[in-house]
Amino acid sequence: MTASRAAASAAGARAEIGRADGALIHVEDLWHTYMAGTPFAEAALRGVTMHVYPGEVVGVIGHTGSGKSTLIQYLNGLLRPARGRVVVAGHEVGRSNAGIEAVRRLVGVAFQDPEDQVFEPLVGDDVAYGPRQLGLAAEELRARVRWAMEAVGLPFDAFKDRYTYTLSGGELRKTALAGVLAMRPQVLVLDEPTSGLDPATRLDVRERLLALRRRDGLTLVLVSHDMDEIAGLADRVYVLHAGAVVASGPPREVFARPDALAPYGLLPPFPTQVCVRLRARGIPVRGDALTIEEAGAAIAAALREAR
Amino acid sequence: MNEFELLRNITIGQYLPVDSYLHRLDPRAKILAAILVIAAVTFTPSLAGNACLLAGGLALVWLGRIPLAYALRGLLPAVPILVFLAVMQLVFFGRNYDPTSPVVFQWRWIVVTGAVLKLVVVSAARFLELLLVTSVFTLSTKTTDLTLGIESLLRPFQRLRVPAHELALVVTIAVRFVPTLALEAERLMKAQASRGARLGGSRWRFISRVRRSLPILVPLVTYALRRGEELIVAMEARAYTGGAGRTAYTVLASRPGDWLAVGAAAVFLAAMLLAPFPA
Amino acid sequence: MQDAGRGGLSTRGIVISAVLAAVAIFLGATRLGFIPTPTGIAATIMHVPAIIGGVLEGPVVGAIIGTIFGLYSFFYATVPMFKDPIVAIAPRIFIGVFAAWTYWSVRRASEFWAIVLAAIVGTATNTVLVLGFGTARHYLPVKAAWVVGITHGIPEIVVAVILSLAVLLPWKRVHRGQARARV
Repeated sequence: MTASRAAASAAGARAEIGRADGALIHVEDLWHTYMAGTPFAEAALRGVTMHVYPGEVVGVIGHTGSGKSTLIQYLNGLLRPARGRVVVAGHEVGRSNAGIEAVRRLVGVAFQDPEDQVFEPLVGDDVAYGPRQLGLAAEELRARVRWAMEAVGLPFDAFKDRYTYTLSGGELRKTALAGVLAMRPQVLVLDEPTSGLDPATRLDVRERLLALRRRDGLTLVLVSHDMDEIAGLADRVYVLHAGAVVASGPPREVFARPDALAPYGLLPPFPTQVCVRLRARGIPVRGDALTIEEAGAAIAAALREAR
Repeated sequence: MNEFELLRNITIGQYLPVDSYLHRLDPRAKILAAILVIAAVTFTPSLAGNACLLAGGLALVWLGRIPLAYALRGLLPAVPILVFLAVMQLVFFGRNYDPTSPVVFQWRWIVVTGAVLKLVVVSAARFLELLLVTSVFTLSTKTTDLTLGIESLLRPFQRLRVPAHELALVVTIAVRFVPTLALEAERLMKAQASRGARLGGSRWRFISRVRRSLPILVPLVTYALRRGEELIVAMEARAYTGGAGRTAYTVLASRPGDWLAVGAAAVFLAAMLLAPFPA
Repeated sequence: MQDAGRGGLSTRGIVISAVLAAVAIFLGATRLGFIPTPTGIAATIMHVPAIIGGVLEGPVVGAIIGTIFGLYSFFYATVPMFKDPIVAIAPRIFIGVFAAWTYWSVRRASEFWAIVLAAIVGTATNTVLVLGFGTARHYLPVKAAWVVGITHGIPEIVVAVILSLAVLLPWKRVHRGQARARV
């Protein structure tokens, strides 16, 4: 399943427009200007086109100010396109409010530092906040909260009655993520999901996100400035620079051409850089390794070859 | 432009950069003069006095080179409330307010006396005058000058244990912090909307409306307090020890012309209080 | 903290006054601090930062926040009654002071009830003094002041209690027995 999608998406950015049948989210030629009509007007997005297909993991990479945070807000209708189109599961996100609640339910967004949005004193209540707005029956509500909490690694019975101020930073982040997950979105958009977490929690969160995709078919959009964070997780990446998509495709292809990224001040993931530099020195390792494991395997293979 | 944009609605420190006598005025002199003029408006109950004050307010607008329409921006949204207030005063005060006053109009239980009529006119005029004075003041004073002025004016009271420098710093930090809060509030509104929050709702279901605002207000106040704690640590780490022995980066220097304004305002106040206006 | 000899305003006092005053200004400037009620006149929560400041840092901080709130509401008022410094500024000074004293005198018995009472007293201070000065300055007939006092005073007390508890209980880490999530 993943393989065929990867093959389909390998066609790259050229074929994006018009070939996006079956995509869950269409973003087409989207422009955004902050403070339009004032002397401070500044283009944050300049003709961005991207698609998100059901069940895939899409990475959006860019520096601060590249427009990625603006782009996210279009994915669930927090911003409405003035120029360009955004269609989410058949709902045209336009000026009117029609279908906007459905769009926000389909696409869950966890902003950077989502723990700031936790407001209920008890963990269980905060996670239940979103689904409670939907007017679910008590058992259904409980089931959702339990599922969401367990999915992020907060055992329901042990954590639901905990005061939020007794939680560690990692647990608080997970509470916030569970609060978004409890809405049962089809697409989960995460802005810098693991920034500021300790390495162990970081790994744990990554694993749990992948498990959600595997088990529940959740579509993920990961947004980050950190190549290493995205490289090992995403099926496809979009590289954003100054409000425009400057590269897109499977990470292996995008990162294997470091020259293409260099003009934008972006560096491939560290393991990829190591392999590319080794190749430049005439050592025949694979140049498309994305993770430390892959790079290790590639170097080991090259060493065996040499012997 | 979009439902979450808050920064645009904030009108604090709405300085209008024009070159005028009032703009160049030493902030200390301007604050003192403003207090005197505001006192004059507050304590003048007569019609003739308010006519003078209205003229004075318009003179200030002219002196500050502020477009009149700009100074009166706050008037239009206030009109319904002004009308409401006038109707309430007309209908409810009746004979209770100054029973000796002659009755001008009577219909069933509604009684309007001459004194109430005067009251209606005076409160509307007073509102207009204060609107002019406060608009001119905020439009012609930068917030930085304002805090410098407050600090300088409070300094003589330091001997009475009034922390002048500290109070000025409170105002400075508060004014600088408002835009930060607005950004955080926008972020919170978006985050909560992303998990199904609906703000607003019917005014008839008051408690539910209050509950709906908690997901924004509670994290916002907590955010402010948390940022405050960080700032305290940062200030103490840099050995901030308050105003004693501090040198200032900007030193206020006033010219004799500045104190002319205070003198004029004082004379104006005295004239308003002492003038034999017909009651 | 270190507040000796400087008129009793520590670094902490300065900063907490400032950030909470900023919240009050923010609530006013964005109209987020006004909650519409069935009577058509909005209930305000702009005074709640003064209550919170009084509870957290005492009467001086409460008074400073209240004063800044009062100055702001005077300068940016669009209602005649609040375009009068006596009505707009003077009453606001006392919100945080009375809230702080109430909190201090009840705290020993119960942190929870101390916050509830501080919010009630602080809000009532605002309502009573504003309407009192408002009638003294003839903006309102006495009867109307009573009506407004009841139709607005009570909702404002309710909001202030809800908001003060929601902010202060977690911030002060008050445990209230074995609380249970409603799921």
